[in-house]
Amino acid sequence: MPALDSGSILRPARDLRFRRIDDEAVVVRQRAGEVLVMNETAARLLELADGRTSVAEWVEVLAAEYEIDRQALEQDILAFAADLAAEGMLELAPPPEEEESRGV
Amino acid sequence: MGFEQVLQKTWRDNLLFSVLVELTYRCNLDCFFCYNDLGLRGEPLRTDQYLDFFAELSDLQVLNLTLSGGEPLAHPDFLKLGACARELGFVVRVKSNGHALRGEMARRVRDEVDPFLIEVSLHGATAATHDRQTRVPGSFDRLLANLREMLGLGLRVKLNSTMTRWNEGEIEGMMALADGLGLPLQLDPEVTPRDDGDAEPLSIAPSREGLGRLFALQAERAGSGAAAVSVAREGDEGIVPVPLAKHCGAGSAGIAVDPYGNVYPCVQWRRPVGNLHRQSIREIWSASAGLREVRELTARAKEVVDAHGAAGPLLNFCPGLAATHTGDPLSVYPDALRRAEVLGEVLEQEKKRVLLPVVP
Repeated sequence: MPALDSGSILRPARDLRFRRIDDEAVVVRQRAGEVLVMNETAARLLELADGRTSVAEWVEVLAAEYEIDRQALEQDILAFAADLAAEGMLELAPPPEEEESRGV
Repeated sequence: MGFEQVLQKTWRDNLLFSVLVELTYRCNLDCFFCYNDLGLRGEPLRTDQYLDFFAELSDLQVLNLTLSGGEPLAHPDFLKLGACARELGFVVRVKSNGHALRGEMARRVRDEVDPFLIEVSLHGATAATHDRQTRVPGSFDRLLANLREMLGLGLRVKLNSTMTRWNEGEIEGMMALADGLGLPLQLDPEVTPRDDGDAEPLSIAPSREGLGRLFALQAERAGSGAAAVSVAREGDEGIVPVPLAKHCGAGSAGIAVDPYGNVYPCVQWRRPVGNLHRQSIREIWSASAGLREVRELTARAKEVVDAHGAAGPLLNFCPGLAATHTGDPLSVYPDALRRAEVLGEVLEQEKKRVLLPVVP
């Protein structure tokens, strides 16, 4: 996967299922038959990764929630998102025009 | 926090986590001991109602959604509903007799529903026994062919079998069949009355000897490192039992819904606690007096089981089945006592076997 930047648009991997139980995410990786429990930050990123909003937009949302310095927040988010992508939990969403041409 | 703690939280805090939906009671087989109440009448939920229901379950953070029946694939909009379930992010399980899971349908189930697991019913190790129970000639051969096709498509499949007097002589054969296909097998040692209380299925309940052989084989396989054969407690499927103040997650973390929108605390506990034609699941979950009673009963059921001491866990007690058998969800029914007794004997024998000196 190419390096992520603030314009990247991510979505959960196709075989990923997750739900938020209070402050945590229960994540199921279907292919592997694996269940993980992840922390609040991961839960929030998985919620935000809807395949439509960019990382920059996540930063706006989270900056309002946590009152953290935006630049540091963006770096943290990009690093965490890259980790989730490396683990195969997040993937880059196809560009909108490609989605439209597929009738999605 | 681990997954077990999350499950504990769902039971303790009444967080709906697993839902079983009986889409239809139509079926292409005619199993002698089918537990469905085929005389039940009502207005079936429409597809648009299911879609709204699923969306609400997703908002409630329900993770596990099991599509069952009858035969769920017999619902005319099964694929549409399954695809919707996938899109909404559920871990989808399909409980099927496997009869229609072949060719284009099997491929579409894989591609459109993308189930985590398909649970398929196996009734025997031979065509004679399997077809006797399904009352459809050729169903065994077709099932085997379909299983191979499903495996070829990469679908994850588990075999479920209810042990009966007719198939108890084929337990080893069923285990061998499952091993040969590389599939897990779950054996349910309990034939249950129909959901309307009709006790006819109990006429083919397994014998004491059959139960003993099943438990002995399980112990043997556990000791030999062979694939484990689990024993079912249907209602909690997909949920790991966790130590808590409640006996089970019925009405606390799970519910079942029949084709007419009746909501039950569990597939085994046919005590309606609401109806989706009249209320949303959110309203039922938060305000149903019936559910509150069920949650209290599951706590009292734990006290009932605990009172049996070391034999308690061997009962595999189900309050829903207790209610069906006796009318009282807290009454330990004879089948549970018999099973605990047989299992206790087998475990005792296994203990002695382990203690025998090894002679070189």
